[in-house]
Amino acid sequence: MSQIPVSVPAQEIMGSGHVACPGCGAAMAMRNALKVLGPKTVVVIPACCWSVIDGPTPHSVVGVPVIHTAFETAAITATGVRAGLRARGEEDVNVMAWAGDGGTFDIGFQSLSGAAERNEDIIYVCYDNEAYMNTGIQRSSATPWGAWTTTTPVNNPKSRPKKNIVDALAAHHIPYIATASVAYPEDLVKKFERAKSIRGMRFIHILSPCPPGWKSVPEQSIRISRLAVKSRVFPLFEVLDGWKYRLTQDPEPVPVNEYLRLQGRFRHLTPEAIDQIQQDVDSRWNQLQQRIASSF
Amino acid sequence: MGHVLIDQEGKPVFAASTGRMEWNHTGSWRYMRPRYENKLPPCTQGCPTHEKIPQYFAQVKRGDYRGAWEIILEDNPLPGVCGRVCYHPCEDVCNRGEFDERIAINALERFVADQNLDRRYPASFRQPSNGVNIAIVGSGPAGLSAAYQLARRGTAVTIFEAAAEPGGMLRLGIPEYRLPRHILDKEIHDIQSLGVEIRTGQRLGTDITLEDLQNRFDAVILALGAYRGRAVDLPGRHLKGVRSALDFLRELNTHQPVDLPERVTVIGGGNTAIDAARSARRLGADVTILYRRSRTEMPAVREEIEAALEEGIDLKECCTPVEVLGDESVRGLRWIKTRLGEPDDSGRRRPIPIPGSEAVLETGAVLLAIGELPELESLPALGTTGSRIAVNDHYQTNLEGVYACGDVADGPVGTVVDAIATGKATALAVLHSLLDQKPAANQPPVVTYDQINLDYFRHQSRPALPHLDVRDAVQSFTEVNQTLSPDTAEQEAVRCFSCGTCIECDLCLIYCPDVAITRGSNGVPYVINYDFCKGCGVCVEECPREAMTFEEELSCTN
Ligand SMILES: Cc1cc2nc3c(=O)[nH]c(=O)nc-3n(C[C@H](O)[C@H](O)[C@H](O)COP(=O)(O)OP(=O)(O)OC[C@H]3O[C@@H](n4cnc5c(N)ncnc54)[C@H](O)[C@@H]3O)c2cc1C
Ligand SMILES: Cc1ncc(C[n+]2csc(CCOP(=O)(O)OP(=O)(O)O)c2C)c(N)n1
Ligand code: SF4
Ligand code: SF4
Ligand code: SF4
Ligand SMILES: [Mg+2]
Repeated sequence: MSQIPVSVPAQEIMGSGHVACPGCGAAMAMRNALKVLGPKTVVVIPACCWSVIDGPTPHSVVGVPVIHTAFETAAITATGVRAGLRARGEEDVNVMAWAGDGGTFDIGFQSLSGAAERNEDIIYVCYDNEAYMNTGIQRSSATPWGAWTTTTPVNNPKSRPKKNIVDALAAHHIPYIATASVAYPEDLVKKFERAKSIRGMRFIHILSPCPPGWKSVPEQSIRISRLAVKSRVFPLFEVLDGWKYRLTQDPEPVPVNEYLRLQGRFRHLTPEAIDQIQQDVDSRWNQLQQRIASSF
Repeated sequence: MGHVLIDQEGKPVFAASTGRMEWNHTGSWRYMRPRYENKLPPCTQGCPTHEKIPQYFAQVKRGDYRGAWEIILEDNPLPGVCGRVCYHPCEDVCNRGEFDERIAINALERFVADQNLDRRYPASFRQPSNGVNIAIVGSGPAGLSAAYQLARRGTAVTIFEAAAEPGGMLRLGIPEYRLPRHILDKEIHDIQSLGVEIRTGQRLGTDITLEDLQNRFDAVILALGAYRGRAVDLPGRHLKGVRSALDFLRELNTHQPVDLPERVTVIGGGNTAIDAARSARRLGADVTILYRRSRTEMPAVREEIEAALEEGIDLKECCTPVEVLGDESVRGLRWIKTRLGEPDDSGRRRPIPIPGSEAVLETGAVLLAIGELPELESLPALGTTGSRIAVNDHYQTNLEGVYACGDVADGPVGTVVDAIATGKATALAVLHSLLDQKPAANQPPVVTYDQINLDYFRHQSRPALPHLDVRDAVQSFTEVNQTLSPDTAEQEAVRCFSCGTCIECDLCLIYCPDVAITRGSNGVPYVINYDFCKGCGVCVEECPREAMTFEEELSCTN
């Protein structure tokens, strides 16, 4: 096959009419996740863009029951939903917490860590747009080094590296962790299929381009996501049981600047700063390679 | 309707709203509008007849070879011929060439034609009469193509042909090892099946007159080709054994006895030269080709030059003849080396003899293949550009109702596909003038290489074309090149980017964040729901092949 074929399940659970911005990666991610999980799914959404995207009560775009919950409580609310379903003998329902990076890396981290440590039977998805977008693009611990946000202006951009959430979750020895990209829908779908087939705590980290927050053009959301993977800024891999690493996509690499230059939030970066990012990306990639090599 | 979880007693598991969001018409946010619009692939533009290449490849991929054939037939009634002898300008501009290797378009065209050798035109090709009656003189590719396009539109067509059999240079010039006659016969029969009458043995100027045709028909199309060898000023040219290469080929191709000496020299670098050389080689001669420029300037089809070299023909580049030696018959040829100077009117560099570099070559025959010109002496009333019939943009000559196309007319000459293209254009011009049938409207823009989204493609090489082993090839006039296997043909069709032509890969539908694209019906691949499309443009940007267009909402008419 000369054109790389892409296929995803035909069923549409999510509908039209949501209020995500044009070109929103988080909307694409939800659409594909639900194609796999299907109608027997409960979604738990803490405060984040998606609590707005979904629509005003009593309306909802996702097509399955949604529980809107407080900012810091995605994991624990999902845990409670699972307990309730179990108490009622409903064993064949997927429970998915769906939170932003603020709700995952920052304020929700305590309840997430607790659920992970107890190996709760939930799928926790973090759609990571690398800032608090819903409230106006404030930095989170997921914001990458050097990026502009409204709280890290260009004369004082983010000075700390992005928190490595996958490492943090791996430290909890949960059965399944994966990174996924909306630019690789088939890979994303496979990861949700794998997650669906496993019991216990599953964590999926999806990089979600945000045109207003990243100062990028909507039509390039997929292109940017793909460049994140190709530049190895956001490698696509899985971690089984907290220590078995496996790369799932390994496209021809490109320099990080290919990824950075399409986004206004990186426009102020000097060539030295871009070199610094390249070095960080390279060393994280090498570390990932070592982990993969010692995994099996 | 949302999905409500129901417990064993049929009650909802917990309270959940079932109201969806379809009331919220987010299409009102849009200021840019995506739409499906196929663009022009460069190959289609590069093909003089504008064959719809990715469109028929789509049928090849589905295994619908009849469908593929019918798409080619829109533009070209001789795919079996062109699939063998065309110089394929389509391939020169193929976008895939910049990525890895050009698509083997010509081989696929041949493949499609060969899959349909036992098929006839669909019934829809026969149209009720349009009341128009046309005479065509000459049954080469130009005349055949014009006749076909006219007949398909209900026109009565009579072709007058001087030779005993139709086909022009396809029968009299091109040798059988390149174009087996059953292929040519089949495609001519197909054209005749539309009611086209071909009267052979009818020479304009002797058997019929132009005035007579003008009186009896609504219009006359002259497609006489170019047969007369150019005159040369070469001392010794009247010796026995010096002759035109085209005459030699014509005798061979009409199965007259030809006897050749052991050593033969061909002068020229076009198809006639190569064909004469390879034919002489097959008759057992030792053959040398003398060409006054370098190999890259040779006008012959590239693959033919390579095949000639493989078959052991000696090519002397940058050499020009000075004198044919001999008493009564040819014994040898004195020649001189050349170097290339400034470009001449043809744009090619002018060969300049290098003094003192003369040498003599032993040879028993000299075949001259330095170009052919039309014979127009019997048609004195026609305006010419010196050597060819002058025509305007509508292929009209200076005489009322008389048109000209192919090699006899001024314009692109010297190739089969240009003859087919000008024949087609002439037919349409005739109908336009007589019936006011307008030719098709303006063309969409051409897809450039940088518009192809390369992230979706993997490198893959062009298939080698199957052909006879050279040792066997030079033993007979059996066809050298062979047809691709169905598997290889399919793979090659798949390898094509399908520039500007939707292949229904679903990417646009998969990526839409607003679930605004659905599959269509009745031949419409996809439908965009503008009630919800926010105009993000992801679909347009990700389409690997520019089969979608993104335009400002305010400038849209609907
Ligand atoms: C040896 C050779 C090899 C070639 N190889 C290739 C190739 O590989 N690829 C390629 O693209 N091109 C090739 N060409 C060129 C190509 O064949 C011609 O350009 C093409 O055939 C021109 O088409 P036409 O219809 O204009 O004329 P022709 O094919 O020459 O047909 C003209 C017809 O008109 C008839 N005719 C002429 N005068 C009269 C008259 N007074 N009354 C009635 N009928 C008349 C002739 O008998 C003939 O049948 C080759 C040419 C030659 C000679
Ligand atoms: C306890 C609490 N603090 C602050 C807020 C205000 N708030 C709502 S959403 C949000 C940011 C969410 O950021 P993130 O989780 O990254 O999701 P995004 O909006 O980027 O999709 C904030 C700060 C809140 N709802 N609750
Ligand atoms: S890739 Fe296919 S469609 Fe594009 S120019 Fe080449 S043959 Fe034509
Ligand atoms: S991807 Fe969807 S929303 Fe975006 S322009 Fe295309 S159809 Fe419209
Ligand atoms: S993305 Fe694929 S399906 Fe959509 S328009 Fe382009 S070629 Fe057609
Ligand atoms: Mg966020």
